[in-house]
Amino acid sequence: MHCGKYIKSQTVKLCIVVLHIDGIRSPLASRCYSHAKVETDEEFDARWVTYFSKPDIDAWELKKGMNTLIGYDLVPEPKILDSALRACRRLNDLASAIRILEAVKDKSGPHKDIYPYLIQELQPTLIELGISTPEDLGMDKL
Amino acid sequence: MNMNRETDRPPVQNSTMSLAKPAMRGLLGKRLRFHLPIAFALSLVAAAAFKYGVTEPRKQAYADFYKQYDTTKEFNNMRDAGVFESVRPTGE
Repeated sequence: MHCGKYIKSQTVKLCIVVLHIDGIRSPLASRCYSHAKVETDEEFDARWVTYFSKPDIDAWELKKGMNTLIGYDLVPEPKILDSALRACRRLNDLASAIRILEAVKDKSGPHKDIYPYLIQELQPTLIELGISTPEDLGMDKL
Repeated sequence: MNMNRETDRPPVQNSTMSLAKPAMRGLLGKRLRFHLPIAFALSLVAAAAFKYGVTEPRKQAYADFYKQYDTTKEFNNMRDAGVFESVRPTGE
C-alpha cells in the first residue's frame, strides 16, 4: 500500500536509503504509487476458492492454479485448499491431493505451527475424500 | 490424529484439540524487512572493515616505504647485482 523509505545510518558511511519490501500484510499485487484498487485478503481467497470450484476444471488448470498459488508470499487458507482438494477428487488425482499437503507444509518454512493448524482445519475434508496425509504414508521422513 | 504431538508450543485455546490460527500471509516479506537491512548494514561494515583494516594500511606501508626510497642508490645496487641487460655492473 504505502512504500516508505527509512534511513539506516552508519557511523562511518553516509546515510543509506532502503526501500520497504511491500507493505505490512499488503496483498500481493500492490505496487508503489499505483492508484489501482487493492484486492483484500477475503477477495483474494474467494477468487481462488472459485477458481478451484469450477466443476469441469481440468488437470492443467489445477496444476497451473496450484503452482501460481504456491508462488505467492502466503500459505493458502484452509478454504482454498479444501476447494483444491475437491478439484483433485473430481479429477481422480490422489497424488496431487497429497502433493498439495506437502506443498503447504513446505510453504510454511520455519513456522511449524501452520501445517498442524491446516491439517486440523482440513480434517473433515480429508476424511470425507479419503485423502491420506504424507505423515500417514510415512512420506514426510527422508 | 492428535495434532498436538507435532506442535512444539502449548496450544492457546481452552480445549487441547483446537489450535489457534497462526499468521499465514506475508511471512517472507516480514522476514526480508527484518533481515535485508541488517544484511545491507553488515555488508557495509564488512567493506569498511576491509578498507580500513587491509587496504589503507597496505597503501600506507607502500607510501612509507617509498618516502625514504633513494632511487639512485637502489639502481646502483641492482646494477652491481648484474640484473640489467642494458647496463653492466660498475667496474666491468
